[in-house]
Amino acid sequence: MPLSDEETSLVLKKTVMIAIFAAVAVVLSIAESMIPVNIQIPGAKLGLANIMILTCLYFLRARDALTLVVLKTILTAFIFGTFSSLLFSLFGSLLSFAVMAVLMKLGRRQFSLIGISIAGGIAHNIGQLAAASIVFSTLNIFYYLPALLISGIATGILVGIAVKYLAPALSRLTLFNVFQKS
Amino acid sequence: MKRGDLLLVSGILAAALLVMVPRWVQGGQISEKNHNISKTAVIKVEGEVYRTVKLTKEEQTIEIRTDRGYNLLKVHDYGIEMADADCPDKVCLTFGFRSRQGDTIVCLPHRVIVEIEGASGEGGGADAVI
Repeated sequence: MPLSDEETSLVLKKTVMIAIFAAVAVVLSIAESMIPVNIQIPGAKLGLANIMILTCLYFLRARDALTLVVLKTILTAFIFGTFSSLLFSLFGSLLSFAVMAVLMKLGRRQFSLIGISIAGGIAHNIGQLAAASIVFSTLNIFYYLPALLISGIATGILVGIAVKYLAPALSRLTLFNVFQKS
Repeated sequence: MKRGDLLLVSGILAAALLVMVPRWVQGGQISEKNHNISKTAVIKVEGEVYRTVKLTKEEQTIEIRTDRGYNLLKVHDYGIEMADADCPDKVCLTFGFRSRQGDTIVCLPHRVIVEIEGASGEGGGADAVI
């Protein structure tokens, strides 16, 4: 069944948005890798790319955000040459995505964007530790979880604040008008 | 911030501190007699034991070269650290200097794991991990 003009334009807009978001997410990952951090918490990172994923979840449906997550993970693996650990990154990002999507759908009244981004960041850490512990078949790696939890709260708050300002700013663009939620 | 956020943050903080505080207290007690107990680091690559080294005060370097890449471990002051690696993400370098029993250093892309164990016969297997 052919789509009406309006539907076609909506699908197109969505595709364009996902593409742009993926590009920005990859750029944010690259920028992040250039920031020298000297903290002794293995696996801790800012997670700036999460800004785009959370924004995408805010405007579009979970299904579209999933496309973005997979796209972003594969693209960063290409650019950083981390193909050998692609499965672990996917494990972490998908878990993080699942948690954020569920909270966005069901917990919007209890949780602000900041809370959702914290939960997502921590889910990412747990996912990666779980993947690593499966590969090495040792639970010793979870030794680092408490430190990661605390750093996850800090970075989650930063990312959440960024989305809180980004989302209303994007809503003012005409491209985003269609996706406005009241 | 909403109520749920605060609950989430305080819940996570409480859980993290609940694990970390006993560890600090315990670590402080152990560190005084720490130097008399010799420890070993077990280096595994792809699940197979690659080498076991005694953690000495004297410096020694261990090079790991596999198909996946290269890692350089440095033993000194009764501890061990990852000094260099050519893995793409460099997460293994952020582990820093590790000297306590149960500590681990992991290089995921190269499938390298270093675990610190107590001296054999000392009754010190791996600590219980919750």
